[in-house]
Amino acid sequence: MTSIGTGYDLSNSVFSPDGRNFQVEYAVKAVENGGTAIGIRCKDGVVLALEKLVASKLVKPGANKRIATVDRNMGVVSAGLLPDGRHFVARARDEAASWRRLYKAPIPTAALADRMGSYVQAHTLYSSVRPFGVTAILAGWDSEAEVPVDGQVGYGPASGAGGKKEGATHGGPFLYMIEPSGMYWGYYGAATGKGRQAAKSELEKLNLAAGNLTLEQGVKEAARIIYVAHEDSKDKEFELEMTWVSSLKGPTKGRHEEVPREVREEAEKWAKKSLESNGEEDEEDEEDKMEE
Amino acid sequence: MFRNNYDNDSVTFSPQGRIFQVEYAQEAVKQGSVVVGVVSKTHTVLAALKRNAEDLSSYQKKIIPIDSHYGVALAGLASDARVLSNFMKQQSLASRLTYDRAIPLGEITQRIGDRAQANTQNYGKRPYGVGLLIAGVDAKGPHLFEFQPSGVTQEMLACGIGARSQMARTYLERNLEQFEGAGREELIKHALRALKESLSQDKELNVDNTSVGVAGVGEDFALYEGAGVAQWLDATFENRGEGAESMEVDS
Amino acid sequence: MNHFPEAWGRPRDDVYGAYNGAHLASGMPNQHTQSPIVTGTSVVGIKFKDGVVIAADNLASYGSLARFTDVKRLHRFNSKSVLGFGGDVSDMQYLDRLLTSLDIRENYHSADDAALSAKNLHTYLSKVMYKRRSDFNPLWNHILVAGLDTEEKPFLASVDLLGTTFSSPSLATGYGAHLAQPIMRKLVPDEEAAARLGKEEAIQAIKDCMKVLFYRDARSMDRYSIAVITKEGVDLNEDVKLENQSWAFADRIRGYGTQVN
Repeated sequence: MTSIGTGYDLSNSVFSPDGRNFQVEYAVKAVENGGTAIGIRCKDGVVLALEKLVASKLVKPGANKRIATVDRNMGVVSAGLLPDGRHFVARARDEAASWRRLYKAPIPTAALADRMGSYVQAHTLYSSVRPFGVTAILAGWDSEAEVPVDGQVGYGPASGAGGKKEGATHGGPFLYMIEPSGMYWGYYGAATGKGRQAAKSELEKLNLAAGNLTLEQGVKEAARIIYVAHEDSKDKEFELEMTWVSSLKGPTKGRHEEVPREVREEAEKWAKKSLESNGEEDEEDEEDKMEE
Repeated sequence: MFRNNYDNDSVTFSPQGRIFQVEYAQEAVKQGSVVVGVVSKTHTVLAALKRNAEDLSSYQKKIIPIDSHYGVALAGLASDARVLSNFMKQQSLASRLTYDRAIPLGEITQRIGDRAQANTQNYGKRPYGVGLLIAGVDAKGPHLFEFQPSGVTQEMLACGIGARSQMARTYLERNLEQFEGAGREELIKHALRALKESLSQDKELNVDNTSVGVAGVGEDFALYEGAGVAQWLDATFENRGEGAESMEVDS
Repeated sequence: MNHFPEAWGRPRDDVYGAYNGAHLASGMPNQHTQSPIVTGTSVVGIKFKDGVVIAADNLASYGSLARFTDVKRLHRFNSKSVLGFGGDVSDMQYLDRLLTSLDIRENYHSADDAALSAKNLHTYLSKVMYKRRSDFNPLWNHILVAGLDTEEKPFLASVDLLGTTFSSPSLATGYGAHLAQPIMRKLVPDEEAAARLGKEEAIQAIKDCMKVLFYRDARSMDRYSIAVITKEGVDLNEDVKLENQSWAFADRIRGYGTQVN
């Protein structure tokens, strides 16, 4: 690498002669070593899934949840340094809370992505801090119904428009991914971490831009993609963690929640089956794994 | 002077995306004497090996009761542990005062994790040089958490940290299935046996160098030291004293 | 010489000169809301063997004007507790937002099995109320907290604008403390009686209280909210009409009810 030995990579906030910030690039390396995390934006909700590598048998199975809730309607999953991920989440929660204090309403997913982008970017500006060693995926459902102002106790006049525009629609599913540089984009399907390449090519096959995938299918696909992404690090055990957020009519009623156990197990069963039928040569290994 | 250019502070990533200062802090934990923790359906137990700097000095405290429902065991820089445990005591009291509630263990663990993380991202700070095992009982039952200098926190079924703790972990992994259903006394024995595994050949557990902390459903966290652990040492390592002697006589 | 009571015990102006109050004012004085503006009246609550029933009408008065008639003064906190607010409505709304933020934070840490109990909530509120009154900036409310405590037993307690806490098998705020409490106390004089009381009896007692309060409290309304909290969760109805009204007792009283003249 051209960066090493030049001295331009020893401090954050320093440009190299060709205009790069190496410390940010190194932070990205930390992300690339973490377990795979993905998000899928479906027409009636968003799914987040995480390949949680199990470092030791002594770790309590099923505990140590890593996909966090922000406000009530958003979730964050990240790949990279775990404690940095928690820092990111803590800040996101603070931003959501301060938005509520100011506007008496939940923060839109897009606004939170923007604020978090700014926060992460600020950590590339100063030599007194290091960049975030995480890439975070932010999923949210902005309410499609008219939300009452926080603290509202009554309603306006029963008749007449009351200053409201008839037939206006708003809200829906949103998915953003924020990188250590502070750059972020909206996604139909996002992937980060070790298995991101495999995951990305699987996401592309889903034709998400068409907007036909339902949340129910999305959960299954998310499970399958995590299993596909895990193929490269097959020697390690992992737990699949999944959360979702649906429309008000959907299973989570606009809230970000863990995917119920039965639904997740069903999705995992389906994922394993479709993996088997895909790669016949891996069949035996797969069988052995399931026995355990 | 330095091993490389990337290990001077905790705000510099190495080209591989590692933070050496944090990794070195983890080494400080391995310098500390060993502590283990185990948890069952009803109880959680901490066991620790105490060290003294010299024969005439007292032993370093290894287990600190924080609130009536939990305590921590430390490995590494004891003064860093004191900073963290003071913080935990404040937070725990605040929870009891404002909500009349024993602070959930997952919550307090996360709070020190977040604090430790800040030390790894800001210039002029250093990571904590201590690892903790947090054990106790809250509204959801008994818990055991591990805290590392990096800010990583995990809920564990059993855990050992400190010098030569790999041996203790091996014991814990081998006997993992027995812990969940174990009774109070049985669990304490497991903790002591795991602790013993990590001792060098010339050392033994005795009433001076062994600390045990126990909490259970309906049982507050209690620290046992000195004569308080004698019965468990005798019960766990039955044939220790006489066994060794009689062997000598035989030969 | 001035003989008005406010001058009693004070140094005489004609001897000592007018009192110099300069040291009392340090720059601008703090201005706080020292009186309620838009208010809700009574909240009533009663414990029974499996839970608690609580009710408050849907009126917010502006002085003697019945200004807002669809104001919900019972707030569900989680599956374990309901709060009933008497007093200033904007302070109630502030507290509602405060509790919303608490609920969001609670949700981050624990799943519902270790949720804050009504008792935890009451302790928290009492600290908030006492802090505010100690700042000479009270939240002008009297609040009933109804629900289940940490052991899942029925819990009912109150906290007022001074941070005073109180607990009893039956509680009522405002006018209800005078008019509803005697009715409820007859039914549940002590905890033992509350532990025997059935759900339907408790609901009936609350409905009777709401009726008496509507008859006699000029700041009340005949539409109200009622909630029953048990282990099964919160059953909250926010639009109940007062039934079986009879104004016969007011036959000869002028100015009562809907009569003219």
